[in-house]
Amino acid sequence: MHSTALKIAWREARASTAKFLFVILAVALGVGALTGVRGFSEAFRGMLTRDARKLMAADMTVRSFSLATGEQVKAMDALPNIRRTWITETVSMLSTPTASVPVLVSIKAVDPEVYPFYGEFKLEPPQRLVETLDAGAIAVSDDLLVRLDLKLGDSVRLGSADFRIAATVAVEPDRMAGSLNVGPRILMSRAGLDRTGLMVEGSRASHRYLFRFDAGAMGVEQARGKLKDAFPEAQIIDYRETHPLITRGLDRSTKFLSLVSLIALIVGALGVAMAMHSHLQQKLDSIAVMKSLGARSGQIIRIYTIQTLILGTLGGGAGIVVGIAVQRIFPQLIARYFHLDPGFHWDPLSAVQGLAVGVLTTLLFTIPPLLSIRRVKPSLILRREMEETRPGWRDRIRHGKAAMAATALILAGVLGIVWWLSESLRTGLYFVGGFTVSLLILAGIAVGLLWGLKRFSRSAQQRMPAVVRHGIANIHRPGNQAAALLVALGLGVMFTLTVYLVQKSMLAQIASSAPPGMPNVFLINITAKERDGVAALLAGHPGMQNRPEVVPLTAARIVKINGAPIGDRQLKGFSRRFTQTRSVSWARELPPQSNIVEGKFWDASTKGAAICLSEDAAKTLPSKPGDTIEWIASGKSISARVVCIYRSDSVRIGSNFDFLFNPGSLDGLPTLHFAAVRMQPGQIAPLQRAVFSRFPTVTVINGADVLAIIQEVVDQIALVIRFISFFAILAGAIILASSVAGTRFRRVREVVILKTLGATRRRIGGIFSVEFLILGLAAGLLGSLLATGFSLLVLKRLFQVDYSFDPVPHAIAIGLTALLANAAGWAASHRILQQKPLEALRGSL
Amino acid sequence: MPSDPIIQVRGLTKSITNGAHTVEILRGVGFDVPKGQFIAIMGPSGSGKSTLLGLLAGLDSATAGSIVLDGEEITGLGEDELAMVRGRKIGFVFQSYQLIPTLTALENVLLPHELAGGGNGRPRALELLESVGLTGRRDHYPIQLSGGEQQRVALARAFMARPPILMADEPTGNLDSANGAHVLELLLALNRREGTTLVLVTHDAALAAQAGRILRLKDGVVVGDDLRA
Ligand SMILES: Nc1ncnc2c1ncn2[C@@H]1O[C@H](COP(=O)(O)OP(=O)(O)O)[C@@H](O)[C@H]1O
Ligand SMILES: [Mg+2]
Repeated sequence: MHSTALKIAWREARASTAKFLFVILAVALGVGALTGVRGFSEAFRGMLTRDARKLMAADMTVRSFSLATGEQVKAMDALPNIRRTWITETVSMLSTPTASVPVLVSIKAVDPEVYPFYGEFKLEPPQRLVETLDAGAIAVSDDLLVRLDLKLGDSVRLGSADFRIAATVAVEPDRMAGSLNVGPRILMSRAGLDRTGLMVEGSRASHRYLFRFDAGAMGVEQARGKLKDAFPEAQIIDYRETHPLITRGLDRSTKFLSLVSLIALIVGALGVAMAMHSHLQQKLDSIAVMKSLGARSGQIIRIYTIQTLILGTLGGGAGIVVGIAVQRIFPQLIARYFHLDPGFHWDPLSAVQGLAVGVLTTLLFTIPPLLSIRRVKPSLILRREMEETRPGWRDRIRHGKAAMAATALILAGVLGIVWWLSESLRTGLYFVGGFTVSLLILAGIAVGLLWGLKRFSRSAQQRMPAVVRHGIANIHRPGNQAAALLVALGLGVMFTLTVYLVQKSMLAQIASSAPPGMPNVFLINITAKERDGVAALLAGHPGMQNRPEVVPLTAARIVKINGAPIGDRQLKGFSRRFTQTRSVSWARELPPQSNIVEGKFWDASTKGAAICLSEDAAKTLPSKPGDTIEWIASGKSISARVVCIYRSDSVRIGSNFDFLFNPGSLDGLPTLHFAAVRMQPGQIAPLQRAVFSRFPTVTVINGADVLAIIQEVVDQIALVIRFISFFAILAGAIILASSVAGTRFRRVREVVILKTLGATRRRIGGIFSVEFLILGLAAGLLGSLLATGFSLLVLKRLFQVDYSFDPVPHAIAIGLTALLANAAGWAASHRILQQKPLEALRGSL
Repeated sequence: MPSDPIIQVRGLTKSITNGAHTVEILRGVGFDVPKGQFIAIMGPSGSGKSTLLGLLAGLDSATAGSIVLDGEEITGLGEDELAMVRGRKIGFVFQSYQLIPTLTALENVLLPHELAGGGNGRPRALELLESVGLTGRRDHYPIQLSGGEQQRVALARAFMARPPILMADEPTGNLDSANGAHVLELLLALNRREGTTLVLVTHDAALAAQAGRILRLKDGVVVGDDLRA
């Protein structure tokens, strides 16, 4: 029996290829986006595992933000048959005699004799690292050459020393394992770094120790344990795991993009349902005939279910091909963010998964039209008008129940799919809930829009040209499913536009609405010796908009509070930062625009070490005046009494320390100073020059540069999201085309009648264009309305950012949607126009 | 009586409620049809002929009364059971052919057999197509066939599953007289060969004249029942 159903289904589908082509395409887009994203993610993960050693240039690494102590070095020395090398990464200023402004660069200092343990470091022109890097020569990333108009062999000044550029960096195996990614990159030897004078006690830098296990070495697990004991705060990674930071980012983005793809897929599935509905509508006679020939409803449902399956499978299969294309494009999209090319590696599992999800979604959304087969009465073939009689209440309630059951099934199915894709029931529930609500709102507005359009065209009948009137009337053509179409297309527009609006508002927020007085230039790595000089330079520099502040910084970690270890407090998540090494400061007076909320600030009479806590720290730890906090800083123990809690209303960075000590209590610890100033943007470059010429090891960071980096990252992420959500729009357009193809018979008849009545092709074309244009405009309007609401919600709720309305993107979105709708509509109907009246009349008999 | 009647109709009533109006289309129709009989149902347009035929074939359900087909009571059966009865017992020929437009002539003929889940039906389907003179058109779609040809395909399809009863609703109504005569000739020939009981609805007296019995319907009641030679 299955084979019979299959046979009939196949024969039937074969005769409707043109119509089904669109459906297949819509499914293909959804499945393609999904398999592309997941395939890429799998390929990436595969590469991370496969090349784990290369990606960190070692078997195991230890990363720490402070220099190894003598004990730590001893612990590392005590690992037999394990080789080791030390990498330091930091930022600094680089300049040349001709450069207008010093450039912020990332420095990586290595031992070229042994680095890297795995992978190959490639230089351009090709040469060996060990022969290139010496105390006076460096390799740079080529963007530096472009930015400062330099060439190989030129000399640059880094900190207080001059270096010759010996090569550019072509491939850096452990690039992603590094931490600092601002500005052009500089590779140098440790001797070179020492010459710069940048590294003083307390300098902010990341230190990585790379280990290579030789024959006879202890097990990886054992070594890891020993290193963990020696470096309790460090991050330790070995080749058996993928880099946790990269993996986490990859996981999150994969899950998110999978859901966006799923929306594209659901839009596609909606298209299949609509196509199936109109397909069955045209098949009412055939269904009635089959029933009169002895077919049971179940048999016929099976036939059309098989047809749906064929469509879903073909669409899914085509989707796998689209997915391969997506997977190929993907690395290019994120090239600037992830400095790795996972290479193309086809993941059959993702493809199968995508195919399964595609077929399943298609089937789910086709349940309602399939179930309606049961309602086709065989007596229909004896009498036409039966079709028109309205079903009684009892029937309608019964159908209502079936429809509700079908809806529940669809929602449960989608929930299952999201659960499977995201591995989280919560995400599934949120997705289904959000999707249902959006769909209801969309459908409500769509129905309202259509109703309004009908009313409007009726009341404005006489004043409208006939072509427009006819076009609007066409929208309400039976079987046109204008509402469903608006929902599908509107969904795509909403998603793409929302991404754009959120991205734009976030950047605008960061760029412009920073509170006045917020510093825009930061100076770091100022030594005690340089402190007064820098302060004087800042004070005398033109364009300052507030009083520059120079504050001392030293690193310290809380060990105990009132004798109890901090570890007992079970601080989770972001609060855990209080258990780690942090920057603390000291001050003689309460910072400006601050006030004491509890306790009393110190004065000259205060004895011993005292701390003033920020409100946040006091609440999180928690702690209050009278407590004793024990600290460890650079190996020294400090015990300090909490004397007050303060609140700062200032936006100045320098006045927002969580822990403020009294003068003298941190004496003898390695201390660097930090300055933050607010100044006229035009004066920043002269300041950078002035600071560099007198204090070359002080790093000056321009807030605008940081902003540019953030913007670049945000843009990159937005690009990826937009790329995927574009599939949803495309699926919507294809549905429009398929719906046009689905109403083909009616259109042909109409065209023929119009032609017999003397209408030119131009006129008929005009009528169709008006129809598509209005549908597109309405869908664009719908999507843009919802995007506004959605962006508002996301920005306010999620990011606490204000939304400022800008009509331009909305207008563009609406215009583009109208264009797209027209293109799709015409793609599906240009053939209809060519129809010769006689052929059609004969065919329609 | 030579044998048990193959169709038994008792007190058949069909009324349709449309809003506040109730229309009685059939009002207490009853008759028996013995196996192998060729019975014509005649009556003016709107007298309820098609409705009666539809009820006999279980395409619609009666308001009251009973129908027994080949010993099986079909009133009160569910949709799917009715479908099975149709598949086993009834062949159908409609005024407007009702071929499935997406299937070829041969596939249309095969359809009842396939729906019933039979084995290889091709030889019989081809043989039937040959009997209606359409062997050469077997791979053509309905749209490529003339009205007379379509109806001949429908004839072949009706006999495909060897139904004991054949029902035809004005099978020549849409055809010109020459084509109509040809179709009728084929229908009667096949009917004789297969030994089917034939129920034919028509308002054409000449056509009805060939039947062994004429049942006359008017305003939903039987007004005449003539047994002929
Ligand atoms: N669904 C219906 N709703 C209302 N009236 C109907 C319906 N079906 C049939 N009728 C009416 O019943 C009468 C008999 O119809 P029908 O059986 O088709 O007659 P015939 O086939 O003899 O021409 C007609 O008057 C027709 O209008
Ligand atoms: Mg009739």
